[in-house]
Amino acid sequence: MQPACPRQDVTVGILALQGAFAEHQVMFQKVSAKRKVVIVLVRTPEDLDKCDALVIPGGESTTIALLARLAGLLEPLAQFLKTKPVWGTCAGAILLSSAVENAKKGGQEVLGGVSVKIARNGWGSQVESFEVPLEVEGLRESNRAFHGIFIRAPVVMDLTQSLTEPPIQVISRISSSLLPASIGPLDEDDTDPRDPRTIVALRQGKHLLTTFHPELTKDNRFHEYFIVECVLPTLLS
Amino acid sequence: MTSPAHTPNGGSPLPPVPHGVGNSSGTPVMAPTRAAHSKDGATTTSLGTFGVKSGLAQMLKGGVIMDVVNAEQARIAEEAGACAVMALERVPADIRATGGVARMSDPKMIKEIVDAVTIPVMAKVRIGHFVEAQILQSIGIDYIDESEVLTPADEEHHINKHAFKVPFVCGCRNLGEALRRISEGAAFIRTKGEAGTGNVVEAVRHTRAVQSEIRKASVMSEEELYAYAKDIQAPFHLLKETARMKRLPVVNFAAGGIATPADAALMMQLGCDGVFVGSGIFKSGDAAKRARAIVQAVTHYNNPKLLADVSEDLGEAMVGLTIDKNLPGGHLAARGW
Repeated sequence: MQPACPRQDVTVGILALQGAFAEHQVMFQKVSAKRKVVIVLVRTPEDLDKCDALVIPGGESTTIALLARLAGLLEPLAQFLKTKPVWGTCAGAILLSSAVENAKKGGQEVLGGVSVKIARNGWGSQVESFEVPLEVEGLRESNRAFHGIFIRAPVVMDLTQSLTEPPIQVISRISSSLLPASIGPLDEDDTDPRDPRTIVALRQGKHLLTTFHPELTKDNRFHEYFIVECVLPTLLS
Repeated sequence: MTSPAHTPNGGSPLPPVPHGVGNSSGTPVMAPTRAAHSKDGATTTSLGTFGVKSGLAQMLKGGVIMDVVNAEQARIAEEAGACAVMALERVPADIRATGGVARMSDPKMIKEIVDAVTIPVMAKVRIGHFVEAQILQSIGIDYIDESEVLTPADEEHHINKHAFKVPFVCGCRNLGEALRRISEGAAFIRTKGEAGTGNVVEAVRHTRAVQSEIRKASVMSEEELYAYAKDIQAPFHLLKETARMKRLPVVNFAAGGIATPADAALMMQLGCDGVFVGSGIFKSGDAAKRARAIVQAVTHYNNPKLLADVSEDLGEAMVGLTIDKNLPGGHLAARGW
């Protein structure tokens, strides 16, 4: 796994089976980090072997999971995320979670990797999709809001990490007043600041999970954050 | 790739239903917004912005959207890896065969499909029929196709799509038509092709026309772009944006006549972002197998070996029709402007 000698490049794979993978590619091209970022569009296990880190983009989680299985990628992906950093956005966050609510009939495959239970289409149909400014901890210029675009977005229902797993670090929440009415308040006054359903971005170990779409903005701070905070530290160790 | 970020804020209070063309109340025409204020009054959310409308189309890229006429077909499509389904009463091949006026489907049937699957559900309305669109928006459909496959309700006007928070996809035969639809608020474009024929020739013609016109525009000076905008009857600002980006400013799928994995891969190699398959799946011998093969073909469109594998033993393809003046049901692509 570890490079024989220090390298100049970092290779980030983007799972390119279905969805908004090209948008991530464009965003990474504008990131300036200590190392040059090389992008690989991942469609086969051989593509995945070249990567130091992976992004699972937005799209349809059922479609991406099926195509991953047909391409023989499910097992290699599950192995990959045991050792290397993975960032899932929206559908990617669903695939990266350990359990799913509102799955398709007959259930659907997830990779695990981040100990959360997540509900698909938490807000309902497309007419409930929305945009909102977010405060995000740890981003460059973190006093400047990040524009969150939520499209048929999933909702984090529960944090399920055990004592032996890396702790979950919440890096962004939305106001509980924005939660979908269908889910209902967790407690009567609905003011619990630890309500997991307000979490929209979190980290566990080297993995990053966002329920919204940084790749649809023109702001690449999240892409920079993934490289600098999640990927580069794993290459140094 | 990136879409213009239209984020209308601070709109005036909105009417209960969106008004389409013909509305003379003077209501401002923009995407509805819903503002939610946090305790300090600083946080504002926007629903139904152009950003979330075109953003959903971006999430569908590299995918296959399949026509289905009931919940059972919708489940087959979802299991086969469709990224969305299009709910309609009759697939285009049957609309051609039976004739008569084709309209929006029964909302009850659409709701059954919505309940059966977790992927986005689209449905068709007649060109210009903004009340059918209001109905579909009220039942929470994810995308509306203002489609030439149904019998047009208005031969002069398309729907004012900015007035809705549900996004619209529209068909086109060339760049001018695509940009006119985008200027009316379409957040997603597809080629018209010739639906219900199982013949990809018109989809290829329309895609090649759009691509060739974009290439021409991309090397033009500003003066030439003004003249070209007049020629193709497109709004100048959208043409300029297209020329700069060297692609349509919204996602562009192929549609109308795609029947095999090879057809789907052809449209992807010609530069489309994904495909719609109408009659091609459920009018063929083994729908589930063909659907899955087309899904794989769209992902691996540049891999001929894999295309050969998935094309094997798919059973009978739908019967194709040649496109000439005797085409049963007529030329649907000529509907709309």
